[in-house]
Amino acid sequence: METVAPNWPVAKGDCYSGQLDSHIAVVTLASILEPYGGAAIWGSCKTENLGAEKIVLNIISNSNIRYVLVCGSESKGHLAGHTFVALHSNGIDHQGRIIGSEGAIPFIENLDQNMIARFQAQVEIIERIGLTDTVMIRRIVDAYMSKGDVFDEVPMVIKRSGKRRSFDHVASGDIIVSDGLMIDTTLGIVCDVDSE
Amino acid sequence: MFKFQKEQEIVNIAGVKIGGQPGELPTVLAGTIFYEGHSIVDDANAGVFDRSAAEDLVHVQDSNADETGNPSIIHIFGNTSKCILNYIDFISSISDSPLIIDSPDPNVRMRAAEYVSDIGLADKVIYNSINMSIKEDEREALRTSDVDSSILLAFNATDSSLNGRMDLLDNGGNVLDGGLIDIARQCGITNMLIDPSITPMGNGAGIALRMTLTAKAKWGYPVGSGIHNAPSSWKWLQDKRKVDPLVYNVCDVGSTCLQQAAGGDFILYGPIENASYIFPLASMSDIMINEANSDLGIVASYSHPSNRLL
Repeated sequence: METVAPNWPVAKGDCYSGQLDSHIAVVTLASILEPYGGAAIWGSCKTENLGAEKIVLNIISNSNIRYVLVCGSESKGHLAGHTFVALHSNGIDHQGRIIGSEGAIPFIENLDQNMIARFQAQVEIIERIGLTDTVMIRRIVDAYMSKGDVFDEVPMVIKRSGKRRSFDHVASGDIIVSDGLMIDTTLGIVCDVDSE
Repeated sequence: MFKFQKEQEIVNIAGVKIGGQPGELPTVLAGTIFYEGHSIVDDANAGVFDRSAAEDLVHVQDSNADETGNPSIIHIFGNTSKCILNYIDFISSISDSPLIIDSPDPNVRMRAAEYVSDIGLADKVIYNSINMSIKEDEREALRTSDVDSSILLAFNATDSSLNGRMDLLDNGGNVLDGGLIDIARQCGITNMLIDPSITPMGNGAGIALRMTLTAKAKWGYPVGSGIHNAPSSWKWLQDKRKVDPLVYNVCDVGSTCLQQAAGGDFILYGPIENASYIFPLASMSDIMINEANSDLGIVASYSHPSNRLL
């Protein structure tokens, strides 16, 4: 069984991939700490919405990861660490709000309930928010990098849908470019005034 | 260039005019002070900082504004009520520029709104921000305050598309009981500044540019953003920065032009240390846009860089 999705990590950002078959991922929240290659992935997370989403996407697309160490300084106001733990514990409601989070804007856009259920089933959270001692963090990585079994499902990846739309009707423009030329900002195209 | 069919509103906040047709008013520029990791801050929770260094930074921004004609706003960031009140006291004592009060913590924002109302400073303040996380206590705090200017953040964490952002302002999308514009109005906000929200590059940062057009076309309110957050979220560029910091600085400062070319009226340009580079760049863009629109009947204001620097 393939355990890692092609081109992993699938969600790019402020993260570094290490040993792909490691069983632990490290989230350093607002702290920038020297990456340690014993972790499958290592990166910061400052936001309670897009940041949390990216971590989940990278975890569920690597079935080797069974533990997530949440450490580093909490992102003030955003509470990305607290929110990430809440996402794992409680999931989201029908509006996409992360249940139990007190972060600033704790909403999820690009994860569905199946993905969150997979995230909850696949990994265990090691909550050490505030820990910035890299020696201690490395010890935790060493202790967990081979612990347990690979998750018994293939990597889960999000398929981006093409959002290209067709523009059949140019009804009017609302920005004047010149005599006879306008932009329809809703459709996002430049149009001839005569075509109205 | 272009002009909007919809009449464009111009707001006046403590003498600084924001909005209008492209090329009409100079772009208003807001540098951030006391941001996360700002070297002049000794204790971010208590609001202890190097007062002399802070004064110098504000002075440089004010001087650039005076020289170019691009008005300035001081964007104050704080994580605690204690610090943000200290910052407000200090900044208002050394500059006449309007202030943006900003915190990710709504309790801090609310306390700041109450404080500036108490000390008679509310008409100089822009609240940052009314956004999708607003709850009743924050609405009530704004209603009872004297603050009448606010940024409306169109960040929609459940639908980051153009339509999702527009819906959040218009009708609340699927997360609020009403649009942010109506909510702001109910909170007593008369000067509305729309921020289309800069999400990371790769997550729709560019949508903000198109939304600048759609929001101005639909409502006519001033629109602007912290567009420098796009390059700062770009990992490739951050890696380049380690080799040559100038590469990063060029993209960071240069992003300003994109927002201006898309019709933006104000820009939160990031660290106030960049003032000396941002103002000339923004002035250049304003002059070019004004010239491009000259045959569309748009006349530059008296203080526009076209009337100051040519």
